[in-house]
Amino acid sequence: MRIVIAEDAVVLRDGLRLLLASRGHEVVAAVGDGEALRACVDEHRPDIAVVDVRMPPSHTDEGLRAAIQVRRDHPDLGVLVFSQYIETRYAAQLLAGGARGVGYLLKERVADVRDFLAALDRIAAGETVLDPEVVTQLMGASRRGDALGALTAREREVLALMAEGRSNSAIAEALFLSYGSVEKHVTQIFTKLGLPPSDGDHRRVLAVLHYLQA
Amino acid sequence: MPITAPVRGRAGRELAYALLMPLMAGLGLLYLLVVLLGVIATANIVGVPFLALCVVGARGLGAANRGLARALAGEQVAAPAPFRSRPGPLNRLAAALGDVVGWRAVIHGLVRLPAAVLAFAVAAGLWGYGLLLLSCPLWWRTAALPAIAPTTWPDALLLSAAGVALLLLAPWGVRLALVPERWLARTLLGPAPGAARIRTLEQTRALAVDDAAAALRRIERDLHDGTAARLVALAMRLGMAQEELAEADRPERLERARGLVDGAHREAKETLAELRVLTRGIHPPALDKGLEIALETLAARSPIPVALEADLPERPSPAVESIAFFCTAELLANVAKHSGARRAAVELRTRAGLLALLVRDDGKGGAMMDAGSGLRGLADRVRMVDGRLGIRSPAGGPTVVTVELPLHI
Repeated sequence: MRIVIAEDAVVLRDGLRLLLASRGHEVVAAVGDGEALRACVDEHRPDIAVVDVRMPPSHTDEGLRAAIQVRRDHPDLGVLVFSQYIETRYAAQLLAGGARGVGYLLKERVADVRDFLAALDRIAAGETVLDPEVVTQLMGASRRGDALGALTAREREVLALMAEGRSNSAIAEALFLSYGSVEKHVTQIFTKLGLPPSDGDHRRVLAVLHYLQA
Repeated sequence: MPITAPVRGRAGRELAYALLMPLMAGLGLLYLLVVLLGVIATANIVGVPFLALCVVGARGLGAANRGLARALAGEQVAAPAPFRSRPGPLNRLAAALGDVVGWRAVIHGLVRLPAAVLAFAVAAGLWGYGLLLLSCPLWWRTAALPAIAPTTWPDALLLSAAGVALLLLAPWGVRLALVPERWLARTLLGPAPGAARIRTLEQTRALAVDDAAAALRRIERDLHDGTAARLVALAMRLGMAQEELAEADRPERLERARGLVDGAHREAKETLAELRVLTRGIHPPALDKGLEIALETLAARSPIPVALEADLPERPSPAVESIAFFCTAELLANVAKHSGARRAAVELRTRAGLLALLVRDDGKGGAMMDAGSGLRGLADRVRMVDGRLGIRSPAGGPTVVTVELPLHI
């Protein structure tokens, strides 16, 4: 894959470059702020951009805004936003422009190299990857209590894994369930959340978005 | 009149002030009657808001008197803080009824009456009699005033001379007679006692809150950008090494794993060093052993030689020690960065319940306490505990900064 990195901490930028290069990816550019990210995406047309949320000059949500903008300009570009904190609002803003090929992960997930690289592959394939922390925060938010109240504990678990972008068979494996019963849970979730029948993958994304949108 | 020439303008204004007294005192008296009416009206519940209105309205009277005193008597009375209401009609009412500034203006209206009478009587008497006597030669023959009318020309001229003397004395007399008026305006129409102190405390409290928030933000930034980023990189290297070791039977993978672990090891040591600098910036551990020891370490670390002289028979409060330490650190950093000095000196003494810190350098001087400068930030910090920071830094040097802090807070 051809990848650009936008990360202001030099140690992390170099570490990521080393990691990705050692796994056969091509890091076409590594930059330190949002402005430079936009420029180098325009220039290199990469498959994926890995973007830190907090970058100069404002050190607030520079990277997120740049990521949203490059996705608008290049709808086929996969974007992995990663950050030391998870803000559900950021996740919602990121997904508002479409959930295809978008990821939002805590930086520390990079320590589990295999999972991190798998997440990049999934994003490149057009899937949505959300950090388990995003899901935990959403599940814990009391204002969503009534909507969630309709779900059983098992269905919540399934939804949480769905939000992380896992397929039904991966969910079945993680929860030690049969493929069939996972399918049943997923259908129950769609029904309880009032999601209309449509293309299966799209509905999975909607189920997650349902909780991200206030 | 050459003697009065230097004070002529002022004498004229003071005379005008004294002559306006019947008007102002009369207005005040009228207002007092209104307030009295308000007090009586409180017998009925609807009278309460009326009285409240009267009290707050008295601020207007006070402001008029204050303005007059400033314009004509040259008495600079600071305006009291504006009326601060509280949310809710009942609270607003209570705040108005308890408005100290308003009540003080009412009291001023009452007690200023004798002072006003005195000022007017002296002014009118001195100037009036003076003019009357001065013009004696013009009217003595008509004898309109038989009681004092002279009978001969020499007598008339003598009285005229007495008139001149009286007129010369008049400005001084009026000034003397205005003393009680001024004193009352100063005492009752300015900010209430304690108000200035409360204002200072409010300002310094705001500074302290902002300072604490800024310090937390700085620590978060340092941890986020420094330590956390390094730890992520470290974890990433170890994760990669783990992957390589999973197939350790192949020598080139083992070699790669070794390289990654080396990098991780280096990363860990660098993180520790960075964390040490960071934690020392939050609270230097040496400070627990006392300010002198902490300053010794600080002086030893300074890039330019620092002579430290400390004599502290009594240990200050921890917060004072901390402020003194960070002031010294910042001042020495300034010396190293901006002054071009070859050496610096730090002196620390206690004096009458105060901790006196002095930082001197032989640099090029010209240090200023501009808004937003490091020195202004220091001065604000020092002010939080009622301390003071002074700078003497002529162009060409040397620069001496003195900081006085209370020993205990």
